[in-house]
Amino acid sequence: METNKNQNSTTIKVSELLAPIINSRDVVDVLEDKIKKTDTESVVLDFSNVKFISRSAAHALALLKERIESRASNRKSLSFINANNDVIEMLRIVAANKIYPKNKKPEFNPEKIDISSLLKEVAA
Amino acid sequence: MKNIVIPKPNNESLISQLGSLYNVFKGVNFGEKLEFDLSLLNWVIPLLVLPISAYINETQSKFKIDKCSIKGYLEKISFPNGVSSISSFQRQIQKYKTFIPISVLKKEEKVGRERLESILEEKIYETLGNVSGARSAVWYSISELITNIFEHSKKDSGFIFVQLYPQKGYLDICIVDCGRGFAKTYEEEKGLKLSDEDAISEVMKGNSVKKDTDRGYGVRTSKDVVCKALKGGGFILISGSCALVSIGEREKLASLPNFYWQGVIIAYRIPKPTGSVDYLRYVI
Repeated sequence: METNKNQNSTTIKVSELLAPIINSRDVVDVLEDKIKKTDTESVVLDFSNVKFISRSAAHALALLKERIESRASNRKSLSFINANNDVIEMLRIVAANKIYPKNKKPEFNPEKIDISSLLKEVAA
Repeated sequence: MKNIVIPKPNNESLISQLGSLYNVFKGVNFGEKLEFDLSLLNWVIPLLVLPISAYINETQSKFKIDKCSIKGYLEKISFPNGVSSISSFQRQIQKYKTFIPISVLKKEEKVGRERLESILEEKIYETLGNVSGARSAVWYSISELITNIFEHSKKDSGFIFVQLYPQKGYLDICIVDCGRGFAKTYEEEKGLKLSDEDAISEVMKGNSVKKDTDRGYGVRTSKDVVCKALKGGGFILISGSCALVSIGEREKLASLPNFYWQGVIIAYRIPKPTGSVDYLRYVI
């Protein structure tokens, strides 16, 4: 069962609705559609059996939580349960970056070369 | 139709394979129908075989493998069409055990794609062994690089192929799309006219085409996870006529004259982890 409803709350099992590894940003849309169809004020995302979430999907999930909880109508509370340490860490990294984003851009100073010279270097 | 004889790679290094790939597509007008002749090959790695598969799928080009000594291997990995469903992936895995087929991920099949990717990632994990942090480090790079295809390429499908070399103690992964490439993405989304070299540099500096904050980290952090967290891995990224080659701490941007890949090719090598992997410090 993907969802389980009691009096005021609907629980959605993320691994059953989506997959045990949440890779892509756009699958969060599937979760959003499911949440919008619930008729309770509280929705709980159950992460049991979810082994990993990508940073992109975690970011999309954080934005989804903001949208769901700040809507003018049909506002709901969205909470997460049973997440493993990897999932929790990724959600925390995303949350921390949203509140306190890094200002310094990473440096990138590669050596420039043409393919022939690169291949000669390897062959030498 | 132009006939392209795929040359035998000189050695197994990622850079040597980049050289072979360059020689295959040098002088090709991306999109033209070709006939690939694989007769000379007696081994391949993902960086060579996956872009050829993607190109065949994209352009309905032809291929010859009848006289090829690795014909059996190519059939086991579902060359060139790959598999795009969970059932066909599992059938291939059951039939050929250690050979992971080329997988084609479809944009519109969100949940189906996610589940196929999950099964593929679980299969990779089986081959890595139970090393703390290694599982998530490998999954992180794959998930971020694949989600990029569907976020930016404007293409409905992406390709991934993974090959484990147990004797050599490493894993090769290649991810390919035939979409817009970085330079065209910056032009169409932000109005910036950049060379392929500058577009790759913008990606590596984390300058996203998206307006949201906290975007633009996927490629850069994946490269760092591969090269730094997974110690000793190598990472190659090709877009248009330029390649980024990162081996350990060394980074080179190589121009690829008379070559153009419409889209992005990413190939990386991960040595089988032996100690715990702290990937999170490279993700922040």
